[in-house]
Amino acid sequence: MFKRKRSAQDFAEEIKTHLALEADELRSEGLGEDEARWKARREFGNVRLTQERFYLKGRWEALDKLFRDLRFGLRSLLQSPGFAITAILTLALGIGANTAVFSVMNAVLLKSLPVSDPGSLVYLRTSNPPRMTGTVDNNETFSYPVYDALRHQNGGLSPVMAYVPLSGSKVAVRYGAQPEEAEGDMVSGTFFSGLGVSLPRGRGFSEEDETNHAPVAVISYNYWTRRFGRNPDVLGTTFYVNGVPLAIVGVAADGFEGVEAGGSTDFWIPMQNRPELNAWGNPLEDGKTYITNPTWWCLRLIGRVAPGVTRTQALAQLQPVFQNAAYVGLGSPMEGEKRPVLSLIDAKNFPGYDQTYGNPLRILMAMVSSVLLIALTNVVMLLMARNATRQREFSLRLALGAGRSELLRQLLIESFLVVTAGGALAWGFAEMATRLLGRWAQIESSLAPDKTVLLFTLAVLVVAALLFGLAPLRVALAGGPGLALKTSAAVSNADAGKSRTGKIIVVLQMALCVVLLVGGGLLIRTLRNLTNIPLGVRVDGLVVFGLKPNITAIPEGVAFYQNLIYRLRTLPGVESVTIMEERIGSGWSDNFDMLVDGRLPDVANGASRTVRSNVAGPDFFRTLGVPVLAGRDFADSDTASSPRVGIINEQFAERFLPNLNPLGHTIADDRGRFTMTIVGVVKDHKYRSIDEAPIPMAWYMYAQIPMTGPMQVEMRVHGDPLAILPAARKIVQQIDPNLPLIQPLTQRAQYDTSISHQLLFARLAGFFGFLAVVLVATGLYGTLAYRVNTRTAEIGVRMAVGARRGQVVWMILKDSLLLTAAGVIFGIPLAMLVGHTLASSLYGIKPLDAISYMIAVIGVAVVALAASAVPAGRAASVDPMRALRTE
Amino acid sequence: MATQENNDDRIALLQGTLDLLILKTLALGSCHGQGVARLIQRQSEEVFFVDHGSLYLALQRLEDKKWIAAKWGISENNRKARFYSLTAKGREQLVEKQSEWRRLSRAMGLILDSSMEPRGEEA
Repeated sequence: MFKRKRSAQDFAEEIKTHLALEADELRSEGLGEDEARWKARREFGNVRLTQERFYLKGRWEALDKLFRDLRFGLRSLLQSPGFAITAILTLALGIGANTAVFSVMNAVLLKSLPVSDPGSLVYLRTSNPPRMTGTVDNNETFSYPVYDALRHQNGGLSPVMAYVPLSGSKVAVRYGAQPEEAEGDMVSGTFFSGLGVSLPRGRGFSEEDETNHAPVAVISYNYWTRRFGRNPDVLGTTFYVNGVPLAIVGVAADGFEGVEAGGSTDFWIPMQNRPELNAWGNPLEDGKTYITNPTWWCLRLIGRVAPGVTRTQALAQLQPVFQNAAYVGLGSPMEGEKRPVLSLIDAKNFPGYDQTYGNPLRILMAMVSSVLLIALTNVVMLLMARNATRQREFSLRLALGAGRSELLRQLLIESFLVVTAGGALAWGFAEMATRLLGRWAQIESSLAPDKTVLLFTLAVLVVAALLFGLAPLRVALAGGPGLALKTSAAVSNADAGKSRTGKIIVVLQMALCVVLLVGGGLLIRTLRNLTNIPLGVRVDGLVVFGLKPNITAIPEGVAFYQNLIYRLRTLPGVESVTIMEERIGSGWSDNFDMLVDGRLPDVANGASRTVRSNVAGPDFFRTLGVPVLAGRDFADSDTASSPRVGIINEQFAERFLPNLNPLGHTIADDRGRFTMTIVGVVKDHKYRSIDEAPIPMAWYMYAQIPMTGPMQVEMRVHGDPLAILPAARKIVQQIDPNLPLIQPLTQRAQYDTSISHQLLFARLAGFFGFLAVVLVATGLYGTLAYRVNTRTAEIGVRMAVGARRGQVVWMILKDSLLLTAAGVIFGIPLAMLVGHTLASSLYGIKPLDAISYMIAVIGVAVVALAASAVPAGRAASVDPMRALRTE
Repeated sequence: MATQENNDDRIALLQGTLDLLILKTLALGSCHGQGVARLIQRQSEEVFFVDHGSLYLALQRLEDKKWIAAKWGISENNRKARFYSLTAKGREQLVEKQSEWRRLSRAMGLILDSSMEPRGEEA
């Protein structure tokens, strides 16, 4: 069928022989040697042209045949558009979902950092920070003296690079007059050269840039595209970060968006020492920046293992340097203190991604694979059903002399057409879904499908095409040429109709469907539990935004916020306004042990002394809608000159002041500073995230604390909370035209970000469960409808000999209910297994949640009944006379 | 046929007749391409000129249709050549084509000969 009959070479050989034979003959007729050869050649005509015609003839025939087959396949598909559309859509959904999830998995878990030789890069980690230090992360951040010591050691790691964001979220930048926000990092001078990130435009940083704290910046390719439309004139542009002018000197390579998980860095600047550009956007602590403050462990470190050195050797070299540097500025370690231990971890992929997304993504991948399996088997069943009814056609063609290979060729071409159409649709669907996934998961790094994803999809498509071509062949050929001579529908179709394969497939699908429904159900119930957790805050009507005024003097800062609050209160529709240091629901908090009445409180059986604190403005609890149980809220009258006041929550009172009236007691931080008198006790409510457990909390009044820096403004308004933002922005810019509103959100949305991963995961799982149900329903419907069709004659006979319509309907329903029962029996243990792996993703629900299982079982039963209803109805309406007469 | 010198007394083959001539020639025994060309030319008393390129393409076409079979062998003067022979299917075709051609030429003859006679007479 596919073999090429004769090579062009063989043909050329034959022509050569001809010329020789002809010359021989001419010579024997008396011509001279040369003349004979010349004449033979002349007589032949154009040799080259003949060879070309031979070649083209073969090619053209093959092409022509292919076209004919394609046309035939297309025509036969168009004859049953219902089948074609169902098969193509099923395939598109199944493959599209897989491609989308695989894209995300590829980008998040499989792709390496976009740097040169990522295998030799390592992240630095510490077992713990020394005592008396503050950290951003207990294991991942280091102090400047540690960084300085490590980068000056020789060998081991070369270079050691530091990077630290300019803000916990986004930082205020300004081009010309327009304030905006962007994500920026301060990095070592060796950052770009050490990582091996190229700069297609401009230059990177040098070590002098770091030493001189040069006011220059490199922007990311993505930011260059998004913000500047890839304008090449951007080099040399000056922009202002927190009011500090910086010149853009380079654009980083496409795809490089920093070495931190999740976020995408817009610009990088060399390490700075100005107070406006302190690490994490923090205000100075006792006038010290991150460089001069050895107690603040805030820098992330990444290093490259020097060539010819193993990781173990590098670590051995670094360990003493690290343990020595860890105590710079802290005095010597206390007796028996656990010294911090340095470790190196693989930096091939983004750290943290695996932790956050790994398990959910793997589960999702398993889910979409099941969906794909259902989709593929569905199409196979559809094809088998369709081809069984075409048995007559195939038999006829066999009888007329078509080879089995011809039939196979045709089936393959038809499946190729279905798969091509489905695949094209799937790719479009996947592109859309990937973008949605990326947005929901807040993964800003590039998720665009790359070569790996394309290969993955193509592999799935090829498997599908072969499967679809080969699986129905058996049925198609089962008839043999003899069948064409038989006329009875009953005889010609009964064998295929009883095919056990079909039943097995339906049971498998049902089992998978149960698993998907249980998984989806568990996660959706988790989602409901999460969204129904009482926050203790009346979130409706609340809107929050950040501000970062460039103010250094404390009274000036207090005056700024006082003025702002007064002016915002005057806006129409505003009920109340307050401010806070850490935005609630954002995952940030200040945590430390607090002194109560001047000493560390005694706690029962070793419970934690940790208190989460926040700095708040007047009307804080009234604005949030948190009930004050005793005492009062903060008020405008609490000022720098009035008595210092603090407020605590129920947990605080219960744990540290049990059975006492907390009002009038004092609290202070762990160094005994900022002593405040408790004036109020409020009801427990959520601070960092929706799913946190209650914990002791305490609040300070902002006007009584040396705080000048960034604050979050919270407003309670009537109507749509976001509608107040333009008016609020106008007021802010009247006070300072440099200030953008940072991350304005409704408070509800802000809390939701703390469970956004769970939300996304649950929604996706629910969606895939639903998709599975729809696919199973169409598959079952198709199979049953086809079986009823082939049993028309049988049903006719049954009815003719006295079967009632109810009995016929029951016969069909029983069939599908039995299949469902078998599917459930296989599905439940599988679902239990899946539930077990899901356990860590569940909230307020057990993996063996009876309701989820019941819903799943009822779900498949309903689907089975619904899918059987139409075929059963059709069976019941069979007219016995007509059914028999057609025989 | 630009290479032809004395094309006045030679006739280019009609479309479709070449196949028949090849089949007929091969009915006498298996032969290579050059021999077929020579035989056709000789037996038509040098009236037909066979374009060699077309001949080989025609041989290939007949082989594809399985009317003739081919295999490499050694010619009488010791050259390696591709020998063609008639298949059973080819033999059937030869009979069929031959009678077809006879009917055609008889009809042609009737028309051409009758053109001398007065019109109106039915044969």
